[in-house]
Amino acid sequence: MSDRSGRLSRIVKFLSSVRLAIVLIILLILASVVGTLIPQGWTPPEYAARFGRMSGVLMRLQLTGVYHSLWFLALLLLLAANITVCTLSRLSAKWTKAVKPDLDIEPSALLAWKTSGSMKKPGPVSDSLAAVRRELGRRRYRQRESVRPDRSFVLARKRILGNFGSDLVHLGLLVILAGGILSARAGSREYLKLEEGRSASVPAAGFDVRLERFQTELYPQGGIKAWTSRVTVVEEGRDAFIREIKVNHPLSHRGFRLYQSGYGWNWDQPALELWVKKPSDPAFLEKRLIRPGEKAALPDGCELRVERFVPDFIIGRDRQVESRSDEPRNPAALVQVRKGADTLFSGWAFARYPDFGGGHSGPEPVFSVELKDIQAPQYTILEASRDPGAQLIWLASLFICAGLFLAFYWPAREIRLVLEVRNGKTEITAGGTTAKSRESFDLEFQEILSSLRKNA
Amino acid sequence: MNESTVFLAVFILYILAAACYLAYHFGRQAGRARAGLVLAAAGLTAHSAALVLRTVQSGHAPFTNMYESLSFLAWASVAAYIIMERRFRIQAAGGYVLLVVIALVALASSPVMPKDITPLVPALQSYWLWLHVSITLIGEAFFAVAFVTSLMFLRAERLERLGRKPSPTSAALDAISYRSVAVGFPLFTLGGLILGMIWAFKAWGAYWSWDPKEVWSLITWFVFALYLHTRLVMGWKGRRSAIIAILGFLAALFTYFGVNYLLAGLHSYA
Repeated sequence: MSDRSGRLSRIVKFLSSVRLAIVLIILLILASVVGTLIPQGWTPPEYAARFGRMSGVLMRLQLTGVYHSLWFLALLLLLAANITVCTLSRLSAKWTKAVKPDLDIEPSALLAWKTSGSMKKPGPVSDSLAAVRRELGRRRYRQRESVRPDRSFVLARKRILGNFGSDLVHLGLLVILAGGILSARAGSREYLKLEEGRSASVPAAGFDVRLERFQTELYPQGGIKAWTSRVTVVEEGRDAFIREIKVNHPLSHRGFRLYQSGYGWNWDQPALELWVKKPSDPAFLEKRLIRPGEKAALPDGCELRVERFVPDFIIGRDRQVESRSDEPRNPAALVQVRKGADTLFSGWAFARYPDFGGGHSGPEPVFSVELKDIQAPQYTILEASRDPGAQLIWLASLFICAGLFLAFYWPAREIRLVLEVRNGKTEITAGGTTAKSRESFDLEFQEILSSLRKNA
Repeated sequence: MNESTVFLAVFILYILAAACYLAYHFGRQAGRARAGLVLAAAGLTAHSAALVLRTVQSGHAPFTNMYESLSFLAWASVAAYIIMERRFRIQAAGGYVLLVVIALVALASSPVMPKDITPLVPALQSYWLWLHVSITLIGEAFFAVAFVTSLMFLRAERLERLGRKPSPTSAALDAISYRSVAVGFPLFTLGGLILGMIWAFKAWGAYWSWDPKEVWSLITWFVFALYLHTRLVMGWKGRRSAIIAILGFLAALFTYFGVNYLLAGLHSYA
């Protein structure tokens, strides 16, 4: 039994040391720096390509996902335990001092304080005591007295809450950690891709959303002004309400939040407007609207086909045509004009570069084809997230702000006085302490003393 | 008058103020420090006008790209210094704080910083932009004052060990450095971390994403937490405190600059 309590007290002693906090903070700093230097969350082949043989070690040490690693969590939990024990062990002493302060003090001890002074006044102690009460009361000090025949003690304090600022900050940090763990364990995040007119159910939320309209607004001088998804929330098959979702303006419903997170185009079946011309005949112009894989008839038994479409044309590393992205930066269509078994035209038509007849084959081409317009359904990407930890984070933020304000801008002040009769006069000895901003406290302390000298 | 003319005037006023303060530091005539303060205050007033002008012209907060936020950080540093000087009588630090400010203004006006007014991307269209960025930068401005006084401390301490009597004394510089951290830390926590989390929750859907800028703000916060705990609980002072304060400001600078240029992430605006 004593062995176990001995071990427990050793653990408590270990956890109550500020040195541990210092070491943990330094380790957390180092870990955080490492996490920004090593790319996080890549795939194993990406690490292998970048770091070679080191990649295995990095992954085993979880340096490729520092902030979600077990050892990082362990550091945080150890810091939390450290904060808890430290705060509690100091809190009880602070609390006792705040509620049941000890008023007795030797005048000589008071004079050893940095801020202190003494004076002699004629008249009885009770007169001086009344003056002290008046002066300190006027300055909003709360006073406690212990009046004895030989000596009287006064303890005057204000802004005593300032002493508990750091505890409030520490409480806030613990709540933040709890909130973070709750968010990671119980939160969810899903991305919904929606084309206009389509619906999707928000997973586990019990409601659906239907996209009415997705709009990209541009500034007159270019650049994106806004992305707006107008959605109908559908509950149990019935339209409940319509709302616009924009960046910075998510939709909150039933504990879920829907964010404007992205957009894109569905390139499966874009409608392409193609203009077929004959270099030899300026009057010849045939316009067709077709999709990849489809055919369209042209005069004289010819036939227009679209073999392939890419939104962002590029010749890839292996000399193959690829799409660099899903954005329509360089839309191109591989087109053919055939008559029976003869290919009269075959080549890429570029929407951005109509004169670039690159890639066509055969001798002098009979036709030329221009890609005039592309219409593809646009979709919006909505992020549907649920984050039960967020509430705790806001609560913790409140604690931390209040605590920091109290600790740094509301420092507690304490003045102690001893009044005693010596040679028929009242001798007043005073000393003061403050947690911070000593200069302005010293000023107040001197003002109090000089006003007591005049009036008491 | 357009913004760049005002900005040039601001630059000149800060240079003159720095010259007066430095002359005071080496010559010890009260009049020079007073002239420095008057010039710095005039520069600050003109700088405020430039910021207001920019806000009116652009229609958004004056800190949405590197040029604007550098200018705002310089402005906040001068303001923070003047506040600290009025409260704690540290005229000797004026020259060095203003040298940092001049460096910031010079960097802002350098040709590599695009100065065009660009309309706000959707993510920045929020009043949280005002709160998050301004309070963070004001907090960092106080860290800048602590940085300068800590560097001065290291020098004063060396002179004292050689038996000389520098003015201000190393003890005074140590105290002012701590005061600046004590003012800056709550502001940085509020602006950088808490308001940042609130805005991230509104704009990105997650209050914390371990984005490099977020991580580096946390690192900065940890360094200053270390400063406060070693000092207030373990009684560290002087040299070791000064070194931590210097590292803290460098971490803040890296959060502000380095992350943008060296690490990719969500905070790709400024």
